[in-house]
Amino acid sequence: MSAADIELVDLHKHYRKGRIDIPALDGLSLTIDAGSFVAIMGPSGSGKSTLLHLIGGLDSADSGLIRVGEHRLDRMSERELTAWRSRHVGFIFQMYHLVPVLTAAQNVELPLLLFRMPARERRRRVATALEVVGLADRMDHRPNQLSGGQEQRVAIARAIVTDPDVILADEPTGDLDARTSQEILQLLSLLNAEFGKTIVMVTHDPRAAAFGQRVLHLDKGVLDRDELNPARPAAAAHAH
Amino acid sequence: MTLSYVLLQNLRRNPLRTALTAVAFALPMAVFVLALSLVVGFVRTSAALEQELRLGVHHRVSLTNFLPDGHRRKIEELDPQRTRLRAVCGMRWFGGRVPGTQQTLQSLAADVDTLPIVYSDIGLTEAEIAEWQRERRAAIAAGGVARQYGWQVGDRVVLESTIPPYRQLEFRLIRIWDESPFPMTFYFRRDYLLDAFERDGQIGTGCSIFWVKCVDAAALRSLQKEIDALFANTPDETRSEDENAFVAGFVQAVGDLPSLAQAMATVVVIIVALVAGNTMMMSFRERIRELAVFKALGFSALRVFLIVLSESVLLALLGSALGILPVVAGLTLIPPDRLRWGAFSPPELSWLAVLGSLSIGLAVGIAAGFWPAWQAWQLRTTDALRRVA
Repeated sequence: MSAADIELVDLHKHYRKGRIDIPALDGLSLTIDAGSFVAIMGPSGSGKSTLLHLIGGLDSADSGLIRVGEHRLDRMSERELTAWRSRHVGFIFQMYHLVPVLTAAQNVELPLLLFRMPARERRRRVATALEVVGLADRMDHRPNQLSGGQEQRVAIARAIVTDPDVILADEPTGDLDARTSQEILQLLSLLNAEFGKTIVMVTHDPRAAAFGQRVLHLDKGVLDRDELNPARPAAAAHAH
Repeated sequence: MTLSYVLLQNLRRNPLRTALTAVAFALPMAVFVLALSLVVGFVRTSAALEQELRLGVHHRVSLTNFLPDGHRRKIEELDPQRTRLRAVCGMRWFGGRVPGTQQTLQSLAADVDTLPIVYSDIGLTEAEIAEWQRERRAAIAAGGVARQYGWQVGDRVVLESTIPPYRQLEFRLIRIWDESPFPMTFYFRRDYLLDAFERDGQIGTGCSIFWVKCVDAAALRSLQKEIDALFANTPDETRSEDENAFVAGFVQAVGDLPSLAQAMATVVVIIVALVAGNTMMMSFRERIRELAVFKALGFSALRVFLIVLSESVLLALLGSALGILPVVAGLTLIPPDRLRWGAFSPPELSWLAVLGSLSIGLAVGIAAGFWPAWQAWQLRTTDALRRVA
């Protein structure tokens, strides 16, 4: 069981579309404590996904500091970021993105192929991850034999199988009905509460955001509001 | 689970497309190996014929024009001491087929006295030569034709000509020539054919070709020029060729096989590369987001590049093997006689062609997969994921 705090200082990220310069993050600074569950909200183009990608080492900022645990991502090369991601981050996407020709267990096993690990240990981890998400009896099912909610559970198992410090979820309930969304969000809360994982979730849905201990509202690349959720135990979180 | 397993499973993603692409590899590769095996068979036969130092003298106009019988004596007189020329054997094409069948045999009526010398490679024993000279209906069949019709030495055999008056001739087999490079040949005595012509009141003189057995290669070259010069500006001008060139002439009449094979190889590479390249690009485009997720999970750009490239190579090699294996099995298991096609020597499996076609498959797989793999390498994970979102 591991978790990492996150520190972002004066982050700037701009995109260019032809001659037009589009600011995605404009001097954003914040910290997220280890083991907290943070929801990020905001209108389209506010910089939510960009922030998630920067924390996950999928992209580099134009300037600013990004620290996740002991690791300074802003000083890492592309290759170092790739290696870091495989060990420290688990991603959950809106559309699950499972490999259709592999079974649930094989999809979960995929990130473990990057590790030097005996096959028996890999199988043990896969079984544990699927058990955590409640799909131990669906190991040999292919994605087209699973419901949307079950597919997302497999994606969550894939995200946690490497025992990452941080779980980053990009609209994880965006493609699910209300009841299944609740189940998925409860599962994320469980991962946060039981396993102490730091979870950062981007969402448009206020009901999903309500599962976070803290809700960050972005607008035009800056932090507009930082709210603690009274319904959840407060996590130590500070905006600069 | 290993990455190789993932690669194999990926080929199942769209089974129809995978199958069609594999067939696109298989068919040209099969034809390629078969064509080169034909060339190898032909080259092998040519090499064997070159050792026999036989010069074929036929009418300059065409093989269907007969040369007068007297040409034999004139050719022999070019070397009365027999220092360059061993013997001359006149032959006349008969063709013919076994009654009730459709296949025309390569049957030739040959001079009785010189066939054993000019065709010493038949390896007739003293007793067989004696029988050949004594028995007017004596005949020698190549191994292929004998096996096809189940003939044995001593059998009575009937051939029927394929043109009117559909003359039937009866023979007695004195020898089966198993090692003949032309497994459908059948030799019999020319005087026996002349008798049959005379019985029908026809003139049966004239030869389709005179085979001149030479002492050595230098003698063959000099006689070749002298013979053609001897009959120049006569009504029956000749064209002399060594046996190799003579057989090659038949083959060239159908097409220049080596050049054909080369052209085919080039066309194969281009067409298959286009087909496979298109397939791999389609597959890549369909899986952009999946590959982006691979990268997000921690697969390096190089690893993703190799995954896409390996899929292309795997598909190319599987498809190639699919085409090559039946050809290899066919050429290995089926007796060469049954694979014979017209005047061609039977194909002989070319392992070099097998290796070559697999190499072509590999090269095409790499060429077809390189661009999609490069695109996968360059793929920006965030852009791909944002596009999905």
